[in-house]
Amino acid sequence: MPRSRRFFNAQNKRELLLPALFLAPALAVLLALSIYPLIYSVTISLQQETAAGITWTLGNFTRLFSDGFFWTAMGHTFVYAAVALTCEFLLGLGLALLLNNEIRGRGFFRASLLVPMMLPTVVVGVVWRLMLNPNFGAVNGTLKQFGVNTENLTWTASPKLAMLSVIAVDVWQWTPFVFLVLLAGLQAIPQEPYEAALIDGSSRWQTFWHVTLPLLKPSILIVLLLRTMDLLRVFDQIFILTEGGPGFATETISLYIYRAAFRFFDFGYAAAMSFVLLALTNVISATYIRLLQGRNA
Amino acid sequence: MLSTQKAQKPQKRFYVPFGSSVRLVILLLALLFALAPVYWMLTISFKTEGEHFASPPSWFVFTPTLEHYYDAFVTRSFGQYLLTSAIVAVASTACALVIGTLAAYALARFDLPLKLNRRLSLWILSTRMFPAIVTAVPLFLMMRDVQLLNTRAALIIVYTAFNLPFVVWMMRGFFADLPRDLEEAALVDGDSRLGALVRVVLPLVAPGLAATAVFCLIVSWNEFLFALVLTQTDAAMTLPVGIAGRVTQYEIKWGVMSAAASVAIVPILVFALALQKYLVRGLSMGAVKG
Repeated sequence: MPRSRRFFNAQNKRELLLPALFLAPALAVLLALSIYPLIYSVTISLQQETAAGITWTLGNFTRLFSDGFFWTAMGHTFVYAAVALTCEFLLGLGLALLLNNEIRGRGFFRASLLVPMMLPTVVVGVVWRLMLNPNFGAVNGTLKQFGVNTENLTWTASPKLAMLSVIAVDVWQWTPFVFLVLLAGLQAIPQEPYEAALIDGSSRWQTFWHVTLPLLKPSILIVLLLRTMDLLRVFDQIFILTEGGPGFATETISLYIYRAAFRFFDFGYAAAMSFVLLALTNVISATYIRLLQGRNA
Repeated sequence: MLSTQKAQKPQKRFYVPFGSSVRLVILLLALLFALAPVYWMLTISFKTEGEHFASPPSWFVFTPTLEHYYDAFVTRSFGQYLLTSAIVAVASTACALVIGTLAAYALARFDLPLKLNRRLSLWILSTRMFPAIVTAVPLFLMMRDVQLLNTRAALIIVYTAFNLPFVVWMMRGFFADLPRDLEEAALVDGDSRLGALVRVVLPLVAPGLAATAVFCLIVSWNEFLFALVLTQTDAAMTLPVGIAGRVTQYEIKWGVMSAAASVAIVPILVFALALQKYLVRGLSMGAVKG
């Protein structure tokens, strides 16, 4: 029996005691603060307070179907996620490919590029409120210097431009992350396939398409998974930048749930909506994970 | 692993249609886009209110003043929010590290029955995947039931649970990177299990532990939604909630807001620089070992 088996085997009851003790606090915390809240949430979503007391009902879920605002918020969330994800991915991949060469001051560039994504999202909101402010914002101020008429460019205050503005802010903050993950992925690709491609006389484009992309696929899937999850639940920046407005123009699903719970104190309905969001993110992450595992199998 | 990456030349045949000087220009433009907005906020925090509205915008020439910082942190309660943010971040990080490291060690080192290593790890990870708003609603009601609303304790408890899956995944990876022989030697020499973990293993994963701690500090420091939901009083609110409260009011004090936001990013910048090497690994929950 190899020594590691002797020390780290935990197949019978006596040997299980130690790892169980090590695991117990973590499992207890997660059960109490992640799983129990979900169960709590299920119960409140299935209850409704009436004059006669609390009754059990599916009312909160059936109400979803006729709530136009809910579906509009869902639509906003998808538009936000799809556009931001596409821009962040294309820009991040482009930058990673460009910079996967020896460049002087690489460490400095990397450290500076990661500033946006490390900022508290509230600060990101503040930064862009200041940048996009129609009166003294640097964006309009600079555009004016170049002779652009900025009268109608009210950005987050304009029903037409508000969604574009909040998406642009997300792209600003998170493109560096996509870039860094893909750069790490590129650098982990071994040299041999490239030499083979060189000998076969494949063009640079062919090499990119048939060597680089397939070998980069795991990193791509991971970064897309992480970004999709974050984009679908986006709350902070939009809350600071527009509070879902003007009107309902940038209301995403998380903001709508927040409003239902903490402005209208309709906790049951908020819980019901949050389950739709949870189901949605689960389906999407499961799909990504299947794609990831399919590649490795 | 990192050293081998440095040694290997990253020069590869990619489709790059231009030379290194064009690349440098693109890079500098990217830097400008990334940093200029943050710099703009800094200038606002140091400008007098009159200078805020200068047209064309003055990026470099203005008379710096500390009045907004004085206003925010002395006249108003931002000093208090800062203190709350620091206490909550440090306390929740400490709790998550202790609890999470023990669990990670068990998952990385012991061969548990019923494929529990893999199953428990994935289950722990899945708890981190819940959108925050999904747990925010019930957590608010739970904290109201036990009368912990508007306390720092509520945030410490919630952030501990929030950071825990992250600690487990990161530390599990660092433990797995470490050969088992070293602990075995200590165990053969008669060291206890906990003794081997504390004296032999932890010093070896110290850099990973530090990086994980810094990540937890940043996440707790930056967190907004739970703090917004759970703390609404001056005594318990964190810096992000304090800043947000000023933003959404009708009359906005731009200078005060920028001063508070500028202070909020100082620890983040220090930490991020310290952490560069582990950044990709941390942000991808250990999935990419950049």
